[in-house]
Amino acid sequence: MSILPSLIRNELEKTWRSRWIVFAVLFGLFLLIAAGLYAYFVHLEHRWTPPAAVAWQSQLRDEIAANQQNVAGLEQVKQQTQQNGGTVRVGREELTIDQAIAQANQAIANDRYLIDHNIAPVQSFAIAQASLFALGGIIMFLLTRIFGWLASEQIAGERSDRTITILLSRPPSRNQVLFAKAFASFLISLVVVLVTLLIVYAMFSFWYGSPGSLTDQAGVAIDGAKPLGPGNLLQMPIYLFVLMCIGAAMLGVLCVQGMSLLISVLTGRWAAIGIVLALLFGAPLVSTVIAGILFLISGSQDSSHFLNYIFFNVLAPVGSVAPTFGNSTAAAGSGINEFTVEVETLAVWTLGFFFAAWLLFRRKQEAG
Amino acid sequence: MSAVVEVERLSKSFGRVRALSEVSFGVDEGEVLGFLGPNGAGKTTTIRILLGLLHGDGGTAKIGGHDCWTDHVRASRFFGATLEQPGFYGFLSGRDNLRQFARMLGPVDEKQITALLDLVGMTERADDKVKRYSMGMRQRLALAQALLGKPRLLVLDEPTNGLDPNGIHGLRILLRKLATEQGLTIFFSSHLLSEVEELCDRVVVLHRGEVKASGPLSELMNVKGYRYRIDVSDVDKALEIVRAVDGARAEPGTIKGSISVTADDDIARQINYALVSAGVGVDQLVRTEKGLEDIYIQLTGVPVASPLSTPVPSVPAQ
Repeated sequence: MSILPSLIRNELEKTWRSRWIVFAVLFGLFLLIAAGLYAYFVHLEHRWTPPAAVAWQSQLRDEIAANQQNVAGLEQVKQQTQQNGGTVRVGREELTIDQAIAQANQAIANDRYLIDHNIAPVQSFAIAQASLFALGGIIMFLLTRIFGWLASEQIAGERSDRTITILLSRPPSRNQVLFAKAFASFLISLVVVLVTLLIVYAMFSFWYGSPGSLTDQAGVAIDGAKPLGPGNLLQMPIYLFVLMCIGAAMLGVLCVQGMSLLISVLTGRWAAIGIVLALLFGAPLVSTVIAGILFLISGSQDSSHFLNYIFFNVLAPVGSVAPTFGNSTAAAGSGINEFTVEVETLAVWTLGFFFAAWLLFRRKQEAG
Repeated sequence: MSAVVEVERLSKSFGRVRALSEVSFGVDEGEVLGFLGPNGAGKTTTIRILLGLLHGDGGTAKIGGHDCWTDHVRASRFFGATLEQPGFYGFLSGRDNLRQFARMLGPVDEKQITALLDLVGMTERADDKVKRYSMGMRQRLALAQALLGKPRLLVLDEPTNGLDPNGIHGLRILLRKLATEQGLTIFFSSHLLSEVEELCDRVVVLHRGEVKASGPLSELMNVKGYRYRIDVSDVDKALEIVRAVDGARAEPGTIKGSISVTADDDIARQINYALVSAGVGVDQLVRTEKGLEDIYIQLTGVPVASPLSTPVPSVPAQ
């Protein structure tokens, strides 16, 4: 076992020395985006300093006031028209006036429940927003592709460089070599993800006017398509929510790395990179096209919901835990329940990839 | 003397191509063994099996008494190895490459790395990136890599590839020193018969996956036979005539205007008569001592000057 730290160190050194430019470009890109957003903020708000922080209770009270106004307006419309058959559009839904009033009243009751029980909607926290944005959106989409590329070179690169012969003829076993490579890849990606999260957190802290609390209780919708309130609420400390997001995001990364390692075991460098990137970029496109076709046929977005449980759609399960912005309800296929199913699916894929990579690598013959 | 390498009835096929067919040989401790054979004979396949990169379909390959595939971890502690066209991390310096490989053996001994770089004459370029190294420099670095961790057995696959004459001379001196002063066992595959002849105690000749001969050089050299160098006026015509003589095998000579003839019996007069009768001028007919090259040709049927003239079994990419 004592040789493992040395092997991991070797892998870290090789990745850093050969690919430091990738990390430098990534870091530079994030700083550039942060600077651009800051410039936009200054232009929009005519101020250099962050805005004053607003308590989440105040936001909910504003929301209650807005809903009360909404109810009053709807009641007025109902009395003027003297009929119940009229409809109004709320979001994407077409509701009768009575249904719309009931929905607004329910929203008021939900918000009051949260205030009375001191449970903040998870989106109220700068760190939660940063986690959802950095670990569940476009950033994670791109990062997983980069991690996939780097992992695809782990064994295939050694084969192309002809160093695989030294690597496999030396005393460390193939299991140790594979573990060291997988662990080093994971370690590097964890550092990149955490640094990214910190940069995004700094941006959201500025936007919110405060870094916010890390220990308060947060409420997450069990079913994201329904409003957050009693009966549709999972309560947890905010730090636990962040850890949950980091864990799920890293599981997605691990899954991509498992797939990349598996391909890396079988081919040379350029083939491995090509296959991995083609799969990681191509499959979501195919998935989107299939979802579009199913929607056209059935007219319902739920008809393509099963696609959420296919490998490529569950790479970033954090994206499903809650809507990224605002405290509104999300589309079907979001919330803690969806998140849990996606994480379970991802775990199965991850185990499968690593098991296959291990099986093949320990028996793989290197004929040169 | 105990055997460090034991290969027993080792067979290996790649699809339909039979690369090794019941190959058996051994290497004793402290011995320098030359492993000879034309391209495609199965030398590199054998070495890859010994290094644990491939496993045989049948038979056994052991180093230090440990099976090279099933007990690779223990077997690999005995040897250091270089393969044909050695690979390194081009983005690292030679010294950093050695550090990388040294870490796979245990704690890095900086003094040993410096000493090895000095031993192979790479001290001045040790901190340059390997991607700027010539093939010869890579070969020397590969030797240093193989010597990391003070192995008891050195497995070298075509170590003179890419080396200039000075480099080859230096390598020969170094290997001899390692064998005599440190008692290192060396298993050495090469096309350069002169190197093998000067360096090795014993040779194994492999051809088309089979061992054609094996034994001490002195014994192999005593194989009955004759060799002639004949300077003639017309090489093509002379080859045609001599090949028709019973028991004679003729090839173009290494010197312009000459042919090289080997035969089991002394047939000098017969050859001379045939050439002169056919109108081919004979300037000189010299009987030379039979060397390893002749034995190699006799056993494999492949002239050393054109090793590619024998069909090379294609090995499918893995």
